[in-house]
Parts: sequence; structure tokens; C-alpha cells
Amino acid sequence: MKFQVNRDVFSEAVSFAVKLLPQRTTLPILSGVLVDATADGLTLSSFDYEVSTQTTITADIEETGRVLVSGRLLADIASRLPAAPVHVSTEGSKIIVKCGTANFTLLSMPVEEYPTLPVIAEQSGLLPAEAFSTAVSQVAVAASRDDVTPVITGVQLEVSENSLSLVATDRYRVAIREVDWESSGKASADAVTALVPARTLMEIGKTFGHSGTISVSITNSDERELIAFSADKKTVTSLLIKGNFPPVRRLFPDVAENYAVVNTADLMEAVRRVSLVLEREAALRFTFTIDGVTLEAIGSEQAQASETIDGHLNGDDTIVSLKPQFLLDGLGAVHSEFVRISFTKTDNPNKPGPVLITSQSSKDQPGADNYKYLLQPNLLLR
Amino acid sequence: MGRQDGSTRQVSADSVDSSTAPILHVDLDAFFASVELLERPDLADLPVVVAHNSLRSVVTAANYPARKFGVRSAIPLSRALQLCPSAIVLEPHFEKYRHYSRLVMSIFDDMTPLVERLGIDEAFLDVAGARGVIGPPGDVARLIRERVRAETGLACSVGAAATKFVAKLASGRAKPDGLLVIPRSETLSFLHPLPVGALWGVGAVTEKSLLGRGLHTIGDIAQTPLDVLRRVVGDAGGRKLHALANGIDPRPVTRDTAEKSIGHEVTFEIDVSDAGTLRRELLRQASQVGRRLRASGLEGRTVVLKLRYADFTTITRSRTLAEPTDVGRRIADEVRDLYEAVGAHPPVRLIGVRMEQLTDAGTNAAGLWDDDEDWRGAERVIDDVGERFGTDLVRPASLMKPAAELGPSKRRPHL
Repeated sequence: MKFQVNRDVFSEAVSFAVKLLPQRTTLPILSGVLVDATADGLTLSSFDYEVSTQTTITADIEETGRVLVSGRLLADIASRLPAAPVHVSTEGSKIIVKCGTANFTLLSMPVEEYPTLPVIAEQSGLLPAEAFSTAVSQVAVAASRDDVTPVITGVQLEVSENSLSLVATDRYRVAIREVDWESSGKASADAVTALVPARTLMEIGKTFGHSGTISVSITNSDERELIAFSADKKTVTSLLIKGNFPPVRRLFPDVAENYAVVNTADLMEAVRRVSLVLEREAALRFTFTIDGVTLEAIGSEQAQASETIDGHLNGDDTIVSLKPQFLLDGLGAVHSEFVRISFTKTDNPNKPGPVLITSQSSKDQPGADNYKYLLQPNLLLR
Repeated sequence: MGRQDGSTRQVSADSVDSSTAPILHVDLDAFFASVELLERPDLADLPVVVAHNSLRSVVTAANYPARKFGVRSAIPLSRALQLCPSAIVLEPHFEKYRHYSRLVMSIFDDMTPLVERLGIDEAFLDVAGARGVIGPPGDVARLIRERVRAETGLACSVGAAATKFVAKLASGRAKPDGLLVIPRSETLSFLHPLPVGALWGVGAVTEKSLLGRGLHTIGDIAQTPLDVLRRVVGDAGGRKLHALANGIDPRPVTRDTAEKSIGHEVTFEIDVSDAGTLRRELLRQASQVGRRLRASGLEGRTVVLKLRYADFTTITRSRTLAEPTDVGRRIADEVRDLYEAVGAHPPVRLIGVRMEQLTDAGTNAAGLWDDDEDWRGAERVIDDVGERFGTDLVRPASLMKPAAELGPSKRRPHL
């Protein structure tokens, strides 16, 4: 194998290929990146049986061939190479990387033992990359990080005729948003769903944020449950999480007439300030009245804090107790100057009704997007 | 440690200066046996063992007259009766022990907020702060002993020292019914003659390797270079032993979280291989654990299954839940999954269900939904029925069998 490639193109491709490699793996060869020089160009790929990445770039191929080499090492090297064409060749089991004044010799790994990358099924539909990327960042924040319940460590993707909705929850909050979806297959009678690990989906969102349009393929058959995202000659596949996502849509209220509208940045600043005196895991108390919203940090013996900011209230005065980080996650995700906080009621005296956070483009105008973040308040302790 | 029969008893005079010994270790003497004897004072001077009167049971507790015969807790009852054929066997009553434990612990709480409970019948207290209110540690210890006797009729022994480790050794030496104060300046002269086995963390194996190197007393260890100790018992162990032998124990008295686990276990009269019987027993225990959690206002997050096979090998399997629960049905589901995952197994001698990682119910942030909601409501109703008409009146259908068919003849609640 022998080829020459542009330094920046090579570095970017290697960094993409290794991005989703696991930090630790039981099988050393899975930490490798497969470098495949063919007449069509240079293909770099990785696969750990869960997630695969693959990208093809242009290179001057003098001699075709395939090698497997330590992914992180190659990525570290590629990102530090001087600005000059990169020459890669093999000598027996050694891989020689030359770039300007720098020379590296790397040992290749046994390429014969490397697993075959999953085959990608027919395209299911197309997504607008930027909107999808934003939606992932807004929704994935609510996914659980606790492996005790694997189904909620994923983001649930639900395909309907012309929209794709993303849903995530950790039991304490639910985030949901829809993005446009252009279906390319024949109209299927069954709603297609895919439960994708949140961590993987966040990387996918970042990677494809500026790619224009993303092609998505969902294989949801019994023997293989896989999703593939492709754009710009880059492809990421991920196994789907098995199991049934909890039916969280029913938790959202049909109408919520009792709500407050507050400046998002002001509220976030105030939450961060007042929660400085809180003990870990403690909640902040919010009192919404016609005069605004008052935040109080109570329950700590050493220090207390309070702050009142402007706000517009529609309906009854309301007091809720919310975990500051959970609220900040929602406020940070609405991406609008103002935020609407709606209150709901429950019949259970031991459980306050959930709070709904939505965007608001001005004091009076609800946001145009359909992002919703539902948060369960704590029980009021006094 | 020691012979546990009071033959090496050592106590302090009231005049000893206790001001440098603010850590108290309070231990109730022969607690279970003493509680039983409160109702049978006529037996107090006779050898008494507390145990289920069954072929395979073990001794739960023994009073001091029985200990003189070599009877100790945890030996088989049959062996105890060989050692002391005249011993009187009394049935244990764990509810009573919990009741008296609460009475005694509340006396401790009156002395200082720094109480660290160790099981049901002992605790560490840091009484440095009680000096202005009650007096020096010796006075606090005497007051505790008087109040425990006056309010419960039970005897306790107290060790006072500068560290937890020495206080615990001192209470052991003071038994029965004594107080031993080890002022800081006398710590080493108290420690050094004691056998190495008395050191905290020295088990049978470590003891053997220490004795094998001619290290017989704590004093021997204190004089052994740290490097040598590290070679004998490992790096961390060596450092720990060296520190303890020199009277250094940095562990503070920490306010505790009451109970660490709630569970039940049963030793079968005859080993059981039938999975159906075992599953029913798990369901019964899980329901009981749920009921006890609710009665104590607690929730647990980790479910533990314990199996002991006929050959005495013991396995435990545990699973941590996404959110804590006090619902027996949920505990039963989880523990049954744990049991199924064990697969084929030898006949079972003992089976048990335990909940760990306990927190006060209601302190956990509520989720948007609750998988256990329906069962939680149902079980609360069952609790109410049980309170009015007697427990076990309402129970899962699979447990509606004649008691004899269920097998377990003796139940030994895990405390």
C-alpha cells in the first residue's frame, strides 16, 4: 500500500473515524482504524460491534492495500503533522508515515481478524442537518446517564410521514422536539422507531451539523437493529437499544393556561447565583407572582440566598421546587430570548404537577419551534 | 477477641482522669439473653442460651453463666448443649430486641449528637462536647450506665479512650457491667501487652502470619519496622496495623444512617431443591421486607439475594434499581429475576432477601411516573388491614397454602 494525501483532509478524516471509538475495549483490534486504499480513494473506518464510522477521501493511490493501525495514535499523529503532503506506505508489517520533516513508523494490527462493517440498508429518509443537530443537543440533555435502565439512556426517534420526533427522558424530565423528515421509502404502515444511544447521537449531531442534508437508514428487523447516518461521504452506524421506550408523550398536558414568561438569560443567571449556597441535590424554591419570580435557596444551615427577577404571570400565583441543574438544562435548550414556564395540576397531594418549559420569541409571542421540556418538581418542604 | 466470659475483666476507678478519653464505646452485655431474662429474672444466674429450639439452629446469644462453659453465639445449638447440658434454651424475640435497642440508643442521643450505631447493641459516642453540660467523659459514661440500667434494666459496658479502636478494646475488657477509661497517656501501656488478634482488622490468616514471625503482642507490632510489616501483610494492611499498634486511629465518630439494610432469611429444616418452593419463599420474604421498609419509613435501592447451599458455600446476587422502592411486589420481581439468573444450583440450606442503600422514604426526587404506583397503593391497604386484623391475613395467592407445606420451620430475621 502506498498513497499521498492532503494533510488537513487526512487529519480531519482520521479524527472523524476514531471519534466514536470506545475509550477502553476488551479486544485490542477494535481500537484500530482500518485504512483502505483503493482505486476509488482512501477509506478510513472503525467498528466496535456497537458503532461504526466510515469516510472516503481523495488521495493519490500509488499502490492499493489495507492496513489496521491504532486509531488514537494515528489521530494524534495526524493532528500534529506539519503543513505538507502526507506520504503513507507499508514495509512488511510496518506502516511508514512521512510528512515534511517528520517520519513515523507504526506497527500494523492483524487486519484479517477485523470484523466486517455492517451493511447499510436502503435509505429511509432525509433530514435537514442543522435543525437535526440542534434538536439532538436540545433533547439528548434529558437522557438518563444511569445504565441501570438502558432504555432511557437512548434518544427515541419516531418517524411519521413528514416529521421525525426526538424524545429523551431520565424519569425526572422529558424533552421532545420534531424536525422535518423527507421520507424516501415507500410509505410504511407501521410507525418506524429507533432508540439510539444518546452519547452516540450527540456525536452524530456535532459531526453532521454543517452537512446540509443527512441520509438516514433504519433497519429494524428482528435479527439486526441498526441506524445509519450519512452525509459528505461520511457514515456512522449504531446498534439500536432494545426494549420499549416508556410512553412519555401522555405526560404532557393538553393545555396549560397557568404560565409565566421570563427572560431566559436573566433566569439562568439568577438560578446559577442563588444555587451557589445550595447543598448538593437540593432544590430551589420558585415563587411566581404578578410581580415576577422569586428564587430562594433554603435548607442549608450555613447560608441562604434569594433573588427576584421580572416576569409576566398568566393565571394563579404558583410555588414550585425545582432542581437547579434540571431547570438550567431546559432553559439552555430553548434557544430563545424568553421562556414560558407552564404549571400543571395533579390529583395526587404528594406529587406536584410537572412544569413545562417552551420557547417564547418575545414576551407575548410563543416560539415557532416545537421544543418541549417537561420537568417534575420536588415536593415542597414547607 | 478474649474469652467473652468476663474472666479478664478490668475496670477503672471513678477517680481516673478521663478528660483525654472522649470517645466512648458502649456495648450492651449479652444483649439478647439479657432482654429475655428481664421477663425471667429467676433464670439470671443459670446458664441461658437464646436460640430457636431446632436441630440445626445456631446460638443467637448466651448469658455469662453459659459463656463460662464455652458457649458463644453462632455455634450450633447442639454443640452448645454438649458443652453445657444444663443450659436453658429460650426462643428469640427480635421485635423486643429492637424495642430495647431504640430505648438505649435514645439515651445515647441525649448525651451527644455524635452517635455512631454499630448494629443493634453497640455504639460509638464522641462526648468531647458534653463536657460543659454533663462533665468529663467518665461522668458521661457513668450516667449512661445508670440510665440504661434504670430505664431498661439492662447492663452495659463502656470503654472510654482517645480513639475508637482503643475505646472498643476497653469496653471489651470492662465486660460485664463495667467501665474502663484509658487516658491518652496510658494508651500504649494498655495496648502493647494485648495479643495481635485484638487488633482491628487482624483475622485468622493475618494472625497466623504475624505469629509465624514471632509477633505475638500489639507491642511487638509497634516495634516492628513498617517495611517489615508491609512485607508480611501488604502495603495498606501494614500501614494500618502499624498505626493502630501505636495508638493511632484517625477514624472519627460519624453520625450514622440508622439501619444499613433490611432483610429476612430462612434456614430450611431440610435442604430444598424445588424451585417453586424457593420462589414462594422469596415472595414471602420480599413482601415482609417491603412491609418492614414501609413501617420504618424507608426505601431501598439495592436488592440482594442470598443463597447458602447444603455444603455451606454462600452466594449473594444483587441488583441496583433506578429508583428506591418500598414495594414488596417490586422487590419480589427483582429478587426472582436474580434467582432465575443463578440457574441450576445445589440444594439450598438458607435463602434470604435483603434491601440495601436505604434512604428515608419521600426524600428522593419524585419521577414523572412511578412504575410501582398501583402496587404501592395496594400494599398500603394491606398494611392497614394487617394493623387492624393481624398481619398475613392478606397475602399473595401463591402463599395461601397450609403453613406446613411452606417448609421453613424457623425464621431468623436479619437484624
